[in-house]
Amino acid sequence: MRRDLFPFAAVVGQEDLKTSLMLCAVNPAVGGVLIRGEKGTAKSTLVRALADILPELETAADCAFSCDPARPQEWCERCRERAAANRRVKKRRPILTLPLNATEDRVTGSLDFEEAVRSGRRVVSPGLLAAAHRGILYVDEVNLLDDHLVDIILDAAASGENRLEREGLSFRHPARFMLIGTMNPEEGELRPQFLDRFGLSVAVNAEPDEKLRVELMLRREEFDLDPAAFQRRYADETAALRLKLSEAGERLPLVEFPKRLRKFVAELAMGSHAAGHRADLFMEQAALAMAALEGALEATEAQVMAVAPLVLAHRRREAAPPPPPPPPPEEDKEKENEKQAPEEPEKAAENPEEAAPPPEKSRDEERENASPPETGDNQDEGGPEQSGAPEDNHVQIGETFRVKSIQAAKDRLRRRGSGRRSRSRVSQKQGRYVKSGPDRGGGDLALDATLRAAAPYQLSRPRTAGLAVTLTPADIREKEREKRLGNFLFFTVDASGSMGARGRMAASKGAIMSLLLDAYQKRDRVALISFRRGEASLNLPLTASIDLAGKLLAELPVGGRTPLSAGLSRTWLELRNALTKNPLARPIVVLITDGRSNVALGEGKPLDEALRLASVMGRDERIKYIVVDTEEPGAVTFGLASQLAAALSAAYFKINDLKADALVNIVKGNLEK
Amino acid sequence: MKKAGPIYPFPAIVGQERMKLALILNVINPGLSGVLIRGEKGTAKSTAVRALADILPEIYVVKDDPFQLSPDEELDWFTEIRASLGRVSGQERVSGEEIEREKRKVRVVELPVGATEDRVVGSLNLEEALKSGEKKVEPGLLAAAHRGILYVDEVNLLDDHVVDVLLDSAAMGVNAIEREGISFSHPARFTLVGTMNPEEGELRPQLLDRFGLCVNIEGISRPEDRVEVMERRAAFDHDPEAFSRRWAREAEGLAEQIEKARRLYPEAEIERESLFQIARYCLEVGVDGHRGDIIILKTAKTLAAFDGRARVSARDIETAAELALPHRVRRQPLMEMADNLETLRRKKQNAS
Repeated sequence: MRRDLFPFAAVVGQEDLKTSLMLCAVNPAVGGVLIRGEKGTAKSTLVRALADILPELETAADCAFSCDPARPQEWCERCRERAAANRRVKKRRPILTLPLNATEDRVTGSLDFEEAVRSGRRVVSPGLLAAAHRGILYVDEVNLLDDHLVDIILDAAASGENRLEREGLSFRHPARFMLIGTMNPEEGELRPQFLDRFGLSVAVNAEPDEKLRVELMLRREEFDLDPAAFQRRYADETAALRLKLSEAGERLPLVEFPKRLRKFVAELAMGSHAAGHRADLFMEQAALAMAALEGALEATEAQVMAVAPLVLAHRRREAAPPPPPPPPPEEDKEKENEKQAPEEPEKAAENPEEAAPPPEKSRDEERENASPPETGDNQDEGGPEQSGAPEDNHVQIGETFRVKSIQAAKDRLRRRGSGRRSRSRVSQKQGRYVKSGPDRGGGDLALDATLRAAAPYQLSRPRTAGLAVTLTPADIREKEREKRLGNFLFFTVDASGSMGARGRMAASKGAIMSLLLDAYQKRDRVALISFRRGEASLNLPLTASIDLAGKLLAELPVGGRTPLSAGLSRTWLELRNALTKNPLARPIVVLITDGRSNVALGEGKPLDEALRLASVMGRDERIKYIVVDTEEPGAVTFGLASQLAAALSAAYFKINDLKADALVNIVKGNLEK
Repeated sequence: MKKAGPIYPFPAIVGQERMKLALILNVINPGLSGVLIRGEKGTAKSTAVRALADILPEIYVVKDDPFQLSPDEELDWFTEIRASLGRVSGQERVSGEEIEREKRKVRVVELPVGATEDRVVGSLNLEEALKSGEKKVEPGLLAAAHRGILYVDEVNLLDDHVVDVLLDSAAMGVNAIEREGISFSHPARFTLVGTMNPEEGELRPQLLDRFGLCVNIEGISRPEDRVEVMERRAAFDHDPEAFSRRWAREAEGLAEQIEKARRLYPEAEIERESLFQIARYCLEVGVDGHRGDIIILKTAKTLAAFDGRARVSARDIETAAELALPHRVRRQPLMEMADNLETLRRKKQNAS
């Protein structure tokens, strides 16, 4: 056993996770585990420890693809050629780590450079997918894995084989593997189709029991002081586990799944509205494995029930589209919140009820607010709204939620920067080395690809003194790098008095907060512009500090009239500045407004002026606009924001439309915590 | 880290006791896994980290090994790496006596903010590939930092995918390279020391959690101390060697104390009731996972050892909690970071 492995048996608690991993060890058809949970909960420790207790499998000796002697139709070329002479050996089921920064050639396999130089033959150097065949592919922080690698894995997982068509190689080999991934949901979610590939999912949390926490501390400290002694102390338990798993593995083919249980399984899957039939299949396989582990020869209801939560947790879908949230109660309890608001943004985010204030406002005032904005034409002092809200108010942040994916369109421009919102080719020598391409003169040499291109011709080329490899200009390959770049996100917020009414600002702040959380995950840079009273102000210049934006948002006061034009023109100014500094940037503007305007910059009608400005701004194709309409659905609506959106050629959302489709309702408690 | 120029002596740094203590604790016990120093510009953050060189202990390494392997504890890795580099066959085991060993100081390796990923994880060795037609690994910064200190100035400005790499290897203690045609892994356990100016943006919570301890430092406010800072700096700039000589005794004294503490650490004992206290601390303030508990325990023991005691006191635990908890309370992005435990408790009390 490797010195630095913490024994599986010595991990305190995390029973669900241990069970899931053991099910996978017994039955590869279980389909792997996705481990979701907070940091520091022995996620990686357990997976690594699993390597030590996995059962063995039988394979042809010296086969790089772990060919299964029992399945001759899948054998690799070499195994087929020497079928008669194949010696069978046993080896432990492999567990391969896929690092986040892996390059494509190592995942799929590529030309064996050394062999090509030596003999001039094109031979495959197998990649991780080959090595993981019949075993486990383990990705730590799987939600941070680059999309192009995810695609390769999905492709192989779907077809059960890996097809290699590159560098003059055409090759295929079986690649049936289980995926084990860990992730921390605060860093973003997985794509649904990737999520679906995991047979089981487990949410891990810290141990709440003091006694167990103490035990855990003691064991960890003992291990760190003398790993070898610690491993010896648990050697018996480790051996017993190993035996249990290998016996269960041998028993598995004999375990039966009674017919009556099939119906039960189907009902369970339907009951939680799981998409597709994978849930049923995985549930059956997991129950079989459970039975095998428990020494039974027939699966029972109890075993199905035991594995059902693991299979269904990440597949559960909402039965129907979520019911529309209750209409926001009227009037903010602004006064009470005034003091707390800046201090407790997170608290407000957790308790939407608190942010949604009790109804108080009179019928009259409501009608006043609902009166068409054009009434604000009398531009001088004393509009009706102003008298209603003479002073600045602070409003808490309302309910937050996961937002829809918002991206700038992908193009072929090369950019510099970092982040993970929009995908782009990048020009600097940074970013993930995705693949190699022909020489563009950029100086970013893809050494491996260049060598592979040159390798097969080495025997026929004249030798350069002292060098084993002779390169010609035609061999040169450059690195193609790609990464997601953070965008510039401009939040332009209507902070006028009308927004303060009836919890609209709380809801809007909730929406902005949600977008900010998303911006954090995508590593965007954000700016905050607000307009109220007679003017627009830049509350926060472009910054990477999302925290600062969150703080300012909480403190953003509300009150006064609605100078929409001023807000637009200020945004335009900031946009132009940003684009001058950074011509390749693709800013995204999120305009939060109900579309009303009652203060103009010039002589015309405020609303017409705003629409005119908007149509000018909308012509710049580099900028993506999003209008979030804060007008509440009700008896009287004006649809002004949608007019504005049309003028801007913007995407138009109501606050509720911003919520990510609840396709997969993942362990909801975790998200809310 | 560059050897250019003499280094300001560690004991000569005025004030900033918390920062100095956190650094010393990490030198005594690498298991604390690092310290994050948060503070404004010009508060001797970088000076202190560089000055560590003075007081670092010595370790045994395999001679000329680019992976800094220990000849006593990492022979299995040594064999494996040698085999995958094609020097010897995998079966051939090496015993401790055959290996040439050398004793040298623990290293401080600096990770520049602009470092590219391949420099950090390692890449394909161009020269070997062209000359001999063989794939050889060119070890990266993570290999150089194994069993040492990895220092990142302005760690909050680090590029995202480099952070991923750090998280990856910190989680597993292993750097797995699967790129540019090479498949290779080597151990990479390091003490991560980062400095940051919070005004420039916060760290990802996950990376934050990887730092064992965290200290907030401020500029010194007492006029006398400020004068002292200026005078010492001037004296150092004027004649660095004479200045270092003047502080040599104290530096040696500290180095000895650290050496003693390292030996004493395994024997440090802690009462069972104190362990419960630690668990309660963490439950009370609501930290993610168990790293908080473990780090407090280790820190408290290290504090006792540094003080020459074999028994952990209540005071040790208190101090350890103050060093280990504040940055863990920031559980999610956008949550405000509690500046210290005090405000934290007050918040707690107010809430209940």
